[in-house]
Amino acid sequence: MQNNKNEVEILLVEDNPNDIEITLRALKKNRLTNQVQVVRDGEEALDFVLAKGKFKDRPLKNPKIILLDLKLPKVSGLEVLKEIKSRPESKIIPVIVMTSSQEESDMIQSYRLGVNSYIVKPVDFDKFVDAVRALGMYWLLLNKLPGE
Amino acid sequence: MKKFHVIIAMQLLLLVIQANPNTRQTINIASEPDYPPFCLVDEKGNAAGFSIELFRAAADAAGLRVNVRIGVWNQIKRDLISGRIDALPLVGRTPEREELFDFTIPYISLRGAVFVRRGTSAIHSLQDLKGREIAVMKGDNAEEFIRREGVSEKILTTNTFEEAFRELAAGRCDAVITQRVMGIRLLEAKKIKSVIPLDLQLPQFRQDFCFAVREGNRELLALLNEGLSIIIANDTYQKIRDRWFRPVIKERYALKDILIIALYILIPAAILSTVFWIAVLRREVRRRTRYLNELVAKHANTLESLRKQKLLLNEMERASKIGGWEYDAESGNTIWTEGTYDVYGVSKSGFDPLSYNRYISFYRLADQKKLDRVFRRILETGGSFNLVLRLNPPDGSGKWIRTRGQAEMINGKVKRVFGNIMDITEQIQAETELKEMKNELEGQVRERTAELRKKIGKLDRSQKAMIYMVEDLNRITGELKEERRKLNLSNRELEAFTYSVSHDLRAPLRAVDGFSRFLQEDYSGKLDGEGKRLIQTIRNSAVKMDRLITDLLELSRISRRDMHLGDVDMKEVVESVYHETANENQLKAFSISIEKMPAVKCDAQLIKQVWKNLIENALKYSSKSKTKRIEVGSRIDGGSIVFFIKDRGAGFDERYKDKLFGVFQRLHKEDEFRGTGVGLAIVQRIIHRQGGAVWAEGAINKGAAFYFTLPRKTGKLPEREDENAE
Repeated sequence: MQNNKNEVEILLVEDNPNDIEITLRALKKNRLTNQVQVVRDGEEALDFVLAKGKFKDRPLKNPKIILLDLKLPKVSGLEVLKEIKSRPESKIIPVIVMTSSQEESDMIQSYRLGVNSYIVKPVDFDKFVDAVRALGMYWLLLNKLPGE
Repeated sequence: MKKFHVIIAMQLLLLVIQANPNTRQTINIASEPDYPPFCLVDEKGNAAGFSIELFRAAADAAGLRVNVRIGVWNQIKRDLISGRIDALPLVGRTPEREELFDFTIPYISLRGAVFVRRGTSAIHSLQDLKGREIAVMKGDNAEEFIRREGVSEKILTTNTFEEAFRELAAGRCDAVITQRVMGIRLLEAKKIKSVIPLDLQLPQFRQDFCFAVREGNRELLALLNEGLSIIIANDTYQKIRDRWFRPVIKERYALKDILIIALYILIPAAILSTVFWIAVLRREVRRRTRYLNELVAKHANTLESLRKQKLLLNEMERASKIGGWEYDAESGNTIWTEGTYDVYGVSKSGFDPLSYNRYISFYRLADQKKLDRVFRRILETGGSFNLVLRLNPPDGSGKWIRTRGQAEMINGKVKRVFGNIMDITEQIQAETELKEMKNELEGQVRERTAELRKKIGKLDRSQKAMIYMVEDLNRITGELKEERRKLNLSNRELEAFTYSVSHDLRAPLRAVDGFSRFLQEDYSGKLDGEGKRLIQTIRNSAVKMDRLITDLLELSRISRRDMHLGDVDMKEVVESVYHETANENQLKAFSISIEKMPAVKCDAQLIKQVWKNLIENALKYSSKSKTKRIEVGSRIDGGSIVFFIKDRGAGFDERYKDKLFGVFQRLHKEDEFRGTGVGLAIVQRIIHRQGGAVWAEGAINKGAAFYFTLPRKTGKLPEREDENAE
């Protein structure tokens, strides 16, 4: 966790401010908040990932994980996922879909596009915190990525 | 003198019938150039000679004009045969020529002689000529004589006798045979001195010379005969003869000469005319005899062929059962052929058809009248008839006959009626049989046609019914398509709706719960016990609502999910679901008995859901009961299998059992048993989709029993829409 302060470890793609607050609080409870970048729609998410637009000057290092909601304004979560996983420079970034949808079709579509995990956001906040802890433990601490 | 009278009488007779000179007819004849003194050519190149002059005189007497042309004998002979000329003036009558020509009475008779070179001594008789070369004019009767008598095989033929004599004089042949007088005259005329006639009589070569016409030209023959008779009778013949033969006779007339003349001319002339008349008569007799013989032969032939034809006719009549008859109107006599006797069935010897009244009685009474009426009419007015009648003849047979008759009229009166009668019994029988067969066939055809019509009618009706059915089907298919379209549309709408529910209803709930939790965490010091309870209630409600949403989405998903049928071992499914559903405490507390159940064809995932919901219920509603026991089993009921699960739990009031399977319907209070009221609705939906039925039995605190059926191992299960489903 001794990383450069400017380097983003988690990219949170979420349009609902309540969900943002809940998610950040869950992350905070698990001490994972210091390097979170929040973007509010699909377009911003892609700008960040591809280092363009208002994120063209962001540090070169890619985020360690992307937490992606599916229901987003402008460009949908599935489209963002497709874009990220079809480009060599962003392909290797782990993407975790965090959504309210239990629809099987969403799940299948996401895995087809190369998602690394699919998490249905629990309504019960305690369970949400548990889920965030589990994924943080796995993707940020246990999982090893190239160049670490 | 008697002969003279005869001649004069004949002359007068012939003058009377002499032809009218105004209607003179011209005939063409031809003459040889060198047969002196009979036929020769004078200084002017015209035909002359005894025969020519005689022919002209005879023709003139018979009222004919004559054109004479000159030609070689062999040629002019052929001309007469072919009809290019009408007559020849000098033709010796020989048997060979009888077939080619008809001859007039002979007008001169001459004997032949053998001419040799002067000094020839070896020839004294006809026999001496054997093997010697003899010259003759081609086609002359001398040639015919030599061949006929076989005088010699070596014959040298020449075109004229002059040529023959020159051949002889030149030594290229041994002899020439020809008429003595002509030969001598020819040798004189041509001054051939080296050839002389032998003093040898040739009785077989006596020549009667006649005029000749073409075979069958009897008219000309009669005219020429007539003319000859006239000129013989009126001394013209004698004058012509004197003129042409005088030079042969000595110039001076001594008594001896006169006697000789009498001897050689007058007496022969008298004899000649007698001979001539005898010949004419003999010839006529021969001709008549021949004619009569021919007639007799012809008659015999005719009789024979008639006899044969009658036999044939009888045979034909017998074979065809036909007979001929003839009724003579004048005598009233009737003649029958044998066939007619056969048709009537009477014998020829035993029946005489003469009486019309007798044979008409052979007919049946009605037919007698008919025949009588027709016959009488025919006799009066003529005409013909053609009747088919029925016989009742002596032989008792009821024969059918056809008789045709026809009247022959002479001067407007019926002379006779003739016709035929034919036994047509077999024909009538055959016709009757044919008619019967035809009627039968027609009957059959009518029957079959009626049957076919009926069938066609039926077919028409069923075809119409089919058409209506097809129309209905088309209409229904159209409606179904429309329904399906609507259904697809509403399914899509439903999907969109559930998707929205899934996302958008959850987010605020999450916020409610989350922020309540923040309140608990951040402001717990400021809240009293009641405040904390209220916040907890909010959080519970949010979670409850989340469960409701989840269950509703599950119900919706189950309705839309595709089914995948397969063989399912129900006991295995129930065991595994039970162990997944029950927690450790429950597993310890409950006793479950699962019977062996028949394999069934269904969707394994969906049927798992059914058992899960039912087992959950059983566990939940038995939790407060003393007896914690679950029984699972099945029984076969007709084409279905009935599965059941029974517990000894809280049970329910049977009065409300219909509400059990409704969505959000609950028979227990939330604080008694937690639940959303969707579980049994899902069970019902799944069972209905697989063609089964669901029901429940129970009583309060006596436990509950849930039943559902599935069809027995069918390949495909009917998809049934649940009418009660929301």
